[in-house]
Amino acid sequence: MDFRMLLIIAIGAIFINNFIFSRILGTCPYVGVSGQLDSAIGMGVAVTFVLTMASAVAYVVYTWLLAPTEANLFYHLFGLAKPPDLTFLKTIVFILVIAALVQFVEMVVQKTSPSLYKSLGIYLPLITTNCAVLGVTLINVNEKYDFVECSVHGFAAGIGFTLALVLMAGIREKLQLADVPKAMRGLPITFIMAGLIALAFLGFSGLKIN
Amino acid sequence: MKEIVRFGIILMIVSIVAATALAAVYGVTNPRILAQKEAQLQAALAAALPGSDPASLKTVRENGEVLYYAAFAPGDTSKPMGYAFLARGAGYSSTIETIVGVDTLGHILGMKVLYQSETPGLGTKLQEVKYGDKEPWFPRQYLGKPAANVAVDKDGGEIRSITGATISSRAVTRAVNEGFARLRTKLGTN
Amino acid sequence: MAFFSDITRGIYEDNPVLKQALGLCPTLAVSSSVSNGIGMGLAATFVLVCSNVLIAMIRKMVPDKIRIPIYIVVIATFVTIIDLAMAGFVPDLYKRLGIFVPLIVVNCIILGRAEAFAGKNTVWASFKDGIGMGLGFTFALLVISTIREIIGNGTFLGIPLFGAGFEPVMFFALAPGAFVTIGFILAFVAWLDHHKGAK
Repeated sequence: MDFRMLLIIAIGAIFINNFIFSRILGTCPYVGVSGQLDSAIGMGVAVTFVLTMASAVAYVVYTWLLAPTEANLFYHLFGLAKPPDLTFLKTIVFILVIAALVQFVEMVVQKTSPSLYKSLGIYLPLITTNCAVLGVTLINVNEKYDFVECSVHGFAAGIGFTLALVLMAGIREKLQLADVPKAMRGLPITFIMAGLIALAFLGFSGLKIN
Repeated sequence: MKEIVRFGIILMIVSIVAATALAAVYGVTNPRILAQKEAQLQAALAAALPGSDPASLKTVRENGEVLYYAAFAPGDTSKPMGYAFLARGAGYSSTIETIVGVDTLGHILGMKVLYQSETPGLGTKLQEVKYGDKEPWFPRQYLGKPAANVAVDKDGGEIRSITGATISSRAVTRAVNEGFARLRTKLGTN
Repeated sequence: MAFFSDITRGIYEDNPVLKQALGLCPTLAVSSSVSNGIGMGLAATFVLVCSNVLIAMIRKMVPDKIRIPIYIVVIATFVTIIDLAMAGFVPDLYKRLGIFVPLIVVNCIILGRAEAFAGKNTVWASFKDGIGMGLGFTFALLVISTIREIIGNGTFLGIPLFGAGFEPVMFFALAPGAFVTIGFILAFVAWLDHHKGAK
């Protein structure tokens, strides 16, 4: 197992290419849930789970059903002349996989922690439309990661996302007490704050991992 | 129970209709997309091997994968005037792919970045064409340099890296070195 | 008047980005240059109009419980169509937009309009709504990318505006600049609303 590669992927997804501050994926729920620390953490955990599972399942589906490789199941099942290239269906297949996973997570959260279920509210099913989830599956395909690399990437992306949420929530809680100009209240100041944190994260681009 | 079956069937019908429609669109657009990719590759090879005859370009493969291209001067197919290879290197946020052309002495004849998905505004400058120019400025720096050990300024070399995109610049440069080393092993001599 | 209001609503009063805070991911990410912004806006408008129309057409046949997955399949189909079309006909723009083309499928604006409007209104009204919201999205992208490209790169549509000695404020071309720019624009829009209301 090439642990160095996995470490590079992980550190990359958490700091250098943080999904929110660097790739700008996952911002919709970000501004919605980062108001309080505990719902931020709960959301982060849920998203991390979905990101990891989606990366893993998408890889399996892509490799065995869509990609024109030796492993393609249709190639074997129908005895075709050569493996069919169904990669153009990846968008539609990935998003359906994600929708199913989120449904599943919703059921689990509802059973195990009804209070978390209530506090996350509409943002839980909205994980389906989180650009970060579909985004990570597409990036995995582009970068041609294998199964372990995909899963690590998904997990690390989730950690980075949670980190971003927690940072934001901590600051927003303090902001409640500050005297913000009327026009800036709510979304505007949140975005400007996110911009400043993103600026700080830009510093990570100097990180050299050998 | 009946409801779930009904829902499942409706979803399946919708999905089948969607997949069929997409297959039709794919059938129409895919030849075009493949033609685009081929045209891009040819353009990159032409940029990497200026002065060569595109008609006599030879592709050397092993196990279905392209190892390198051998180029000949127009009218003279006795011996190659140069070679082109694909250089791949891990950049900041993507794997950067470049076509590099070298002459028989190992000096870079030309270079074109085929694929990159780096930070917009920084690493994307790898393919930036300044207003009024026809070709990107960054790869032009490599012309004439020895492909075996070209390096960016921060590593003591002569290539001016892109401001704020040292990692992208370094990735391309390293890929050139590594790709050339591989070419040498495959060619046996040089 | 009613003919136009369905369209103009999406451009200002109910602008999906500036008023409803939807579709932020692509807005932030592709607004570093005007040509990218307009390209994305038009592609998303195509998907929005097509999916609005189709969903309005089948709205009476779709069982309520599974409407969301069906909407998703419809939207994803149109996204794949525009994806393939762009790859075949405008490959340069397609490469610059990268994964944000398939990500149109999770653009909250499109699913949002399907759920809030197309699922409950006529085909014609949904068509107009799609055009309006799509134009509003494109307009927001145009405003933000103009600011970011001029200040962050010194160009507009790739054409340099200032002399060779001009040093653009690179901050605006990068991710942090996107957040800050949209923050100020949202503040400006809020301020505008305030003063209109006060009158």
